[in-house]
Parts: sequence; structure tokens; C-alpha cells
Amino acid sequence: MELTYHQTLDVKGAKCPMPLVKSRKAITELPVGQVLRVIATDRGSVADFQGWVKAAKNIELIAQEVIHEGGQELYVHYLRRTA
Amino acid sequence: MTVTEIQTQTPVMTAATLYDALLHNTAPYILDVRNPDDFARWRIEGRAGLTVENIPYYNFIEDEDGAVARVPADREVLVVCAKEGSSQYVADLLRARGVNASYLAGGILSWGHLYDTRDIVVAPWGRIIQVARPARGDVSFIVISDGAAAVIDPLRHTAPYLEAIAAHGARLTHIFDTHVHADHISGGPALNRETGAPYYVHPYDAIHPIDMLPAVIPYTALDDGQVFQIGRVELRMIWYPGHTLGQVNILAVAPDGFRGLFTGDGIFLRSFGRPDLGGKGEAWTPLLYESMTRRLPPYLDDATLILPAHFSTLDEADEAGRVAAPWSVVRQTNTSLSHMESEREFRSFVLGNLPEFPPQYVEIKRVNIGLRTPSEAEAEELELGKNVCALAK
Repeated sequence: MELTYHQTLDVKGAKCPMPLVKSRKAITELPVGQVLRVIATDRGSVADFQGWVKAAKNIELIAQEVIHEGGQELYVHYLRRTA
Repeated sequence: MTVTEIQTQTPVMTAATLYDALLHNTAPYILDVRNPDDFARWRIEGRAGLTVENIPYYNFIEDEDGAVARVPADREVLVVCAKEGSSQYVADLLRARGVNASYLAGGILSWGHLYDTRDIVVAPWGRIIQVARPARGDVSFIVISDGAAAVIDPLRHTAPYLEAIAAHGARLTHIFDTHVHADHISGGPALNRETGAPYYVHPYDAIHPIDMLPAVIPYTALDDGQVFQIGRVELRMIWYPGHTLGQVNILAVAPDGFRGLFTGDGIFLRSFGRPDLGGKGEAWTPLLYESMTRRLPPYLDDATLILPAHFSTLDEADEAGRVAAPWSVVRQTNTSLSHMESEREFRSFVLGNLPEFPPQYVEIKRVNIGLRTPSEAEAEELELGKNVCALAK
């Protein structure tokens, strides 16, 4: 699956709640309609991002994927700012 | 001029301190900031009256004012998350808003791993120690007398048993499981490997009831009526089929006349063990009826201390954390025992009150007889949450 994104946020190594805190900040700085790609190593971010976008008013979770890279699992989230 | 910034450290509560507060019903309001799915799967439970609420941490990020407004401003608040980070984040934020907030050290994981060790009986002949895992409602025991020690229904982590036995200068000589458990991974085989003490189970439980495959762990078969001597304490095996085919109750008799009955998943303080976890509820219900009405009663007198392997709610423990009561009390307060007039009545009560069957229980039984060896992460996942071995009431 080839996904378009406009900016990447690397939060590898960051523990909960930092992946989400930093993503919130980054998406707020993004123009409406653009997509943020977040790369995390915190497995809990998968379920938390799903819950977060339900509570958030202007974010859409387009996709999530798990990538195996260099012996570790990366959790990649694609978020669009909708308003 | 130097300005010294005064950092007010957000207080931390350990799982052991929390447990003590839960027992005494003095625990703070608990604010669980995990996502709603994780909260629904399992959470901290205490006595009736404890307030536990779920406001995910991202609500505090999205709408800080709205989320803070939902937290009581006039109460002590303990914030809990999975591992610690988010709860500290939310507790800091609440404190900045004047709320008396602290957070749970190590998150709910540390609560799940808490082992609580305390004496149940201390007598000239020795002692009975209770080792519980409060988050799971799992209870196990150590009997120590004259330097010998037996463990009954040990839980997965072996250190609490080895430490308690060493602290009393005793040596582990017998490991018993009242039955092969479905809700948690037994520490029996691991204790056997670590100490060489024999691991006893009834042979009927050494066959997986659904797979019909035999155990591949080293175990020693025990028999109905068999008696073991632990120092000056006699342990008698009483076959009690129904919850499993090979469950036993273990009657401890000491020289001063003390009698204690390790009921496993037989009779609990407020319920009794369900007959369907082997997948054969209909067929095993009459066996359970026979065990409860004929096999066990000859060994019970009013003074016999009932020592079960589980509790369903913390209200079954006294303030000192003991999950034990004499039969004179249990036979009156355990209302689930009042449906035994006929097998027909019993059957309709039992089959009408079966809680959900957690799918992982089939796999846990495989692990307990060596058919599967889970990784640590898999073991954690299998044991997540509280046991549901009792009949619902």
C-alpha cells in the first residue's frame, strides 16, 4: 500500500504519552488536509491512536502499519488534519 | 539574585500500598487513563464502594478543561495507566490544577504482578502462609512444620514461595496442585525444576480434557485418600471431581486439633468452582454434586478452616487480607450452597449461572501440562485480568 504523506514525525524510543503528545503538536502545525506520518516503537500507540482520533475533533486516522526494521517493530500511523 | 525553583514532586503510590488501602477501604478515587478497550478488559477492583473511572489520557491532551472537570476536585486521586508514563503526565497536570493527585508506580502492570504474602495460621506446630496475587484473585498456600514445607496451588512466579520458605529456615519437600488450573499458569512445574521437590497432581488432570493429550511435564500421581506428612502436619487428599476430573481437596490436620481444608476451586467463600471449564459442563455437573454432597461432608466440621484458591471480589478477604473462614461461617454466608436439595435443582442452578468461558483457558491448561511453552510476553497475555473460575451468583 502506497500512502501519501506530507510530513514525518519520528518518535522512536519515546514512551507513552509522548508519541501522542508530540503527534498532537505536529498535527496542529500542519495545514488542514495534510497527512502526518508518525513512526513509533511503543506498541501501545496502536490502540491509543485509535482511541485518540475518536476523542479528537479534527484528526482522521487513515492507516496503521507494522514494519519490521533492524530487529525491531515499528508502528506507523498516518493521520490527516481534517479541520 | 538567584531564583530557586521549588519543584513539588508528584507523589507515587506502590502497588503494595494500594493493596493495603484497598483492604482497609481507604483507597483514593482511582482514575484509569488507559484506552477504553484496555480498561474494559481488566482494571483495579477493590471492595464495594471503591470508585474507579476511566478517562483516557488523550482526553486530557485534546480537551484539558473538559477532562479535568470530570475529576473530583475534593478527593485524593490515584492515576493509573499501563506502565506509568501517562499516569504521571496526567497526575502532574491535575496537581497543577490543585487536585491532590498521585500515580501508581509501574502502572497497572505492577498491580498485576503484586504477590502478597501473609500468615494465616501461626501455631506451635508451624504455620500456614497465604500467597495471593490480588489483581487476579488467585490464592495459594505454604504449609511449614518442623523445617519441611509444602506448597499448594503455587502461582507462576516462584520467588515469593522460595523466599517465604527460606525466611522460615525450611526446605520445600512437596508441591501440590489441587487440580490443573485453567485461569493461571501454575508455578508447580517450575518449582519442581528449581528445587527437585516432587510435583503432585491427580492423574485424571494430567490429560487435557479437550485435546485428549497426556501431560509431558514430570509429575507424580496422587491418589484419593493418600496422606502426606509435612513435619507434624498431615495432608490428606480427598478426591473431589467436578470442576476438573482430578481435583482434590487437601485436608490439613495438626496435632493440636487444627483442621484446614485447601479447597482449590471447590468451595470458595462466596461461590464454588464451575464444572464447565473442561468443556463438559453437562457431564461433570453430577460429579460436582456428588463431590459436594457426599464426598466432602464427612471431612468437614464447623471449625474446619476453608482455604480456597480464588476470590471473586476483595470483599471475600478480611482487613488483614486473609481469604479464609471456618466452615461454620461459610456454610451460612455462601448462599450459592443453598441449591443442593436435589441434583435436579443443583443442575439447573449451576447450568443457569455459568459465566463466560474465556477462550484462553483452553490454552492455559495446555501450558500447565507442558503441551505448550509460552514466551514471557505470551504468558503475561494469557494471565491478563481476573480469574472467572467461580459460578456467577
